[in-house]
Amino acid sequence: MSPPVPALEVRAIGKRYGATVALEDVSFALHAGEVCGLLGENGAGKSTLVKVLSGVVAPDSGEMWIGGAVYSPRNINDARSMGVATAFQELSLVPTLSVAVNLFLPRPAGRGFGLVRLRRLEQEAARVLQVYGVADIHPGALVGELSLGVRQRIEIVRAMMRAPRLLLLDEPTSALSDREWLFALISRALDAGTSVLYISHKLDEIRRICHRCVVLRNGRKVLDSSVAALSDAEIFSSMAGRSLVEAFPVASSAVQPAPPALSVKNLTAEGIEDVHLTLARGEILGVAGLEGQGQSSLFKALAGLLPLRHGSIEVAGRREIFHSPRTARRAGVVLVPEDRKEEGIFKDLSTLANISLPVIGQCHRLRFIDRRVERARVEQIIPIVELAERYLPLNIEALSGGNQQKAVLAQALIAGARCLLLFDPTRGVDVGAKQSIYRLMRRFAEEGGAILFYSTELDELVHLCDRCLVIYRNRIAGEVPRAALSQERILALASGHSLPQRAEEEHFAEKPVVAR
Amino acid sequence: MKITVKIRRALAGGGAPFATVVCLLMYAIYAVRAPSALSIFGITNVLNDAIVLAIGSVGLTVVVLAGEFDLSGVGVIAIANVLVATTSGATGLGAVGSLALVLAIGLLVGTINGVLVALFHLQSLAATIGTMIACEGVALLILPAPGGEVADNIATGLTGDVAGVMPVALLILGGFAAAWFLFKRTSLGVAIYATGADAQAARLSGINLRRTRLVAFMLAGLCYAFAGYMLSAETGTGDPRVSSALLLFMYAAVAIGGTSLSGGKGGVFGSLAGAGILTVLQKMLFALGVAEFYTNIFNGIVMICALLFGNLASLLVGSVRRQVAK
Amino acid sequence: MTAISLHHRLPEGWGVPLVVFACTAFLVVVIKLISPGSALAQQIEAILVTAIFLVIASMGQGLAILLGGIDLSIGVVMGLAGMMISGLTNGADAALGWAVPATLASCAGIGVFNGLGIALAGIPPFIMTLASGSIFFGIGLGFTAGAAQRPVAPVLQKLMSGHVFGLPLPVLLLAVFAVAAMAFQNGSVEGRRLYAIGSNPKAAKIVGLPIRPLTVAVYGVSGLCAGIAGVLLAGYASAATLDMGDPFLMPTIAAVVIGGARVTGGRGLYLGTFAGALFLSVLETIITVLSLSQGLRDIIEGTIIVMALLLQTAPGKRRF
Repeated sequence: MSPPVPALEVRAIGKRYGATVALEDVSFALHAGEVCGLLGENGAGKSTLVKVLSGVVAPDSGEMWIGGAVYSPRNINDARSMGVATAFQELSLVPTLSVAVNLFLPRPAGRGFGLVRLRRLEQEAARVLQVYGVADIHPGALVGELSLGVRQRIEIVRAMMRAPRLLLLDEPTSALSDREWLFALISRALDAGTSVLYISHKLDEIRRICHRCVVLRNGRKVLDSSVAALSDAEIFSSMAGRSLVEAFPVASSAVQPAPPALSVKNLTAEGIEDVHLTLARGEILGVAGLEGQGQSSLFKALAGLLPLRHGSIEVAGRREIFHSPRTARRAGVVLVPEDRKEEGIFKDLSTLANISLPVIGQCHRLRFIDRRVERARVEQIIPIVELAERYLPLNIEALSGGNQQKAVLAQALIAGARCLLLFDPTRGVDVGAKQSIYRLMRRFAEEGGAILFYSTELDELVHLCDRCLVIYRNRIAGEVPRAALSQERILALASGHSLPQRAEEEHFAEKPVVAR
Repeated sequence: MKITVKIRRALAGGGAPFATVVCLLMYAIYAVRAPSALSIFGITNVLNDAIVLAIGSVGLTVVVLAGEFDLSGVGVIAIANVLVATTSGATGLGAVGSLALVLAIGLLVGTINGVLVALFHLQSLAATIGTMIACEGVALLILPAPGGEVADNIATGLTGDVAGVMPVALLILGGFAAAWFLFKRTSLGVAIYATGADAQAARLSGINLRRTRLVAFMLAGLCYAFAGYMLSAETGTGDPRVSSALLLFMYAAVAIGGTSLSGGKGGVFGSLAGAGILTVLQKMLFALGVAEFYTNIFNGIVMICALLFGNLASLLVGSVRRQVAK
Repeated sequence: MTAISLHHRLPEGWGVPLVVFACTAFLVVVIKLISPGSALAQQIEAILVTAIFLVIASMGQGLAILLGGIDLSIGVVMGLAGMMISGLTNGADAALGWAVPATLASCAGIGVFNGLGIALAGIPPFIMTLASGSIFFGIGLGFTAGAAQRPVAPVLQKLMSGHVFGLPLPVLLLAVFAVAAMAFQNGSVEGRRLYAIGSNPKAAKIVGLPIRPLTVAVYGVSGLCAGIAGVLLAGYASAATLDMGDPFLMPTIAAVVIGGARVTGGRGLYLGTFAGALFLSVLETIITVLSLSQGLRDIIEGTIIVMALLLQTAPGKRRF
């Protein structure tokens, strides 16, 4: 009996972006009715692979087959006609259009030159939403007004409603508070003959629903096996290239007593409510939370990007009002933003120019830049972030994600920051650079600096922080002290549960509070 | 839930309802000073004054909705005007023939713009400056100095009214409004909005960005050509140099009408109202006896105020929406 | 192969300007071939003198575009500057001492007005500068009723036709201005900040750059440059009319873009703008020498702009 034709087969796929290798020689197969997990750290190549499979980008090399037929889509529609549907991590919904229109893009009017019949469309949309268990979403609502979690559901529904042969789910639970809904839909899809490629970096989900898993690291496939046959440690080490234990610098508390570096009371702004926190000098205070729970607003408010509606901020005992990041920086509070590409780097400038920007006003003679002084200032700071000097004259876009992040950190430190607000600083950063960043954080704390640190990697929070605040629904849901720091504790609070009574509790027995 | 949804959608539709109200109010004030404004003759008069700007802004709106700039409108209007002035006479192509010719030219220029922007990925601001200058040159080649003669049937036919009741201009504008009403609801119309709002999301949703942008520029070209045709009807003669103020007015009409200059929001109805506001403003100033050279100042101030107001309004709408959503 | 390796050894961003210079040189040769009569040196001198207005005015436009904006009031400001200096000096030298600063200050003031509207009121630069151009044109009309002004102060006229060390004064001015502008845009602290803001306004905000003051300053400088150009133009033309600056507006944009700047900001050297301005001036001269009609001139200018843009775009560049 000949082996069944795989639902998806991929051979020697390669893709580069300039100097960066996103994918190299990736090959694997997905069988019918199977859920295969695609694992890897941020920046391992998962998203690029999804783009290649979805028809968004064409690979530089390699071949693909769907159900035995050659598959080389030039765009999303080609992919769809071959039965491939994707729920993207960066949501593909148009915010100014309604839910109903979005569901039926790109042809909301049907075939040919017809007109969109709004009422019919909304009825159809309502029917679809009902079938997929999200009837509480109004089809006429504008997508831009909905919360991130709701938008993610719509994205998933849109992919599933095409009853595809191959369903690609890219980090589908990053904003979901009710994962069971998704898992139920996945099993329904499997029954209907769909095969699923499930991209995630969350091990517990992979274990729960995947038969097999493929692990990517630095653009290459490093593991391909059934899930049951692997232990967590094995999966983790192939993802991270290290074992869990040796990853982090030895942490001894550097927390200094009062006065606190940062003291926040009753802070309320758009997207965040009634926050109290105290950040001591020498402390690394973690912040954990699922996507869109208010952590972004908290950091923005502390950095001066969002005006406060209520509450106060005190820096080193002095009351401050931050009108803009400029005033925040003057007080020594510096934000390292989440999205390096959009908000962190100046891609037309060299790495040197990027780093020296905050202090360029001090490197001049009669307003003309004194390049020697500039160079000296930058050379002083780059050993702290472990960035090699040879990168300085290069355009910052030519650097890898990890080196770019180091440059951004150098830029944050060069003006003498005393309080760092780090928002997911290791996203899209390779292992070596991550370790540099961890070491930097420890050193900064040991020298008396304070760090507020948000991360989506739970083990970073567990191993680097002195304590961890958890955000849920725009408020601080709880605080986990050092002694009790564990992934389970953090995850429980982040999902809206109170702390489990028994320390051995691993899974959530009862259904969590359903978000609207 | 239904009512709040409807309100939300009306607010999200942009400044069109508001601009229409303002336009009508202004016309009422104007009518107080010049009672003939309420007669069919008066209304026809105003519509004739407004129609070139109105149709031009319709074309510009489509491109702006798609998230692009288009400065070539005045160039196409100039070519259309001189072509009609030179070819519509009795020995030439006649009314219909010259219309077909200018529409073809408008389509051609629009296609060139679309190809440059959508296929060659040029910045639309710079590219359409190039095409605009080239178009002005073509107009000068066809008719180096003002002159030529527009066929009588065009000049009188399009500027008059039907059966003494319905101004022809109103019919034409109505036609454009109806065409937009339909187009907005086609997949292509939705695609234009999507492309302007979030091109990345639009692409991931399966929209063909190249085709969408190309079509937007082509439609704009057609509109500009028609506007030029109407200009010939209005002035009865050809002039290769179209007032550069027209470009400012076209953008002002679009912005006042509530269409966002960054794309994705707004629509043609607003631009029509915006064109109306600007035209009535001119007439009001004239009726009030304001010297002509002050109109430049007023136009500029109105433009700035309109945008200031627009910013404030969207801030307001934003906070109202949040209330409604809660 | 060699072209590419040469490109890598050049300082960042010099590639396009050098190509433009080469094209300009080629065009100069063409001029020589077309009109073999006059000496090449004299012809080049003549070109450079007429280029000065575009060179100076484009500097301001270049800064505005670098920030991601645009200045559509330059033509009007040039005309106003010419009218003002003529009106204030009234054909005599006596008033120059205060007339020039007054004129330049007014022009810079218009620029500041633009900058405030853009930076504080959030009005798109396209509309703000277009609208203020209209407003100030109207104000100018109101004061002068559009009539051409009496001749400009003789000193200015002599400035534009004078010679020093055998070189025309304007050419020397040109060189000095170009060097100063290059030094400012690419060597000063403010210049570096402008590049950063144009490259990534969101990041610039987070880094704490003074975006609003710099925006106001940029448009102020743009107004100032237009003012200088207008004053010199009045001296050159010996008279002034309100619309004498209009033909310069589009060429300033073209010069900046041809010189390699990115319309959305963050990229482009003054060297490029300078090269673009020279190129366009030479092109203008050829067209005049060839006695081409205005229509053909415009067609050529428009086509050249589009071609320059096409050549700039890297093949296969992805954009949404």
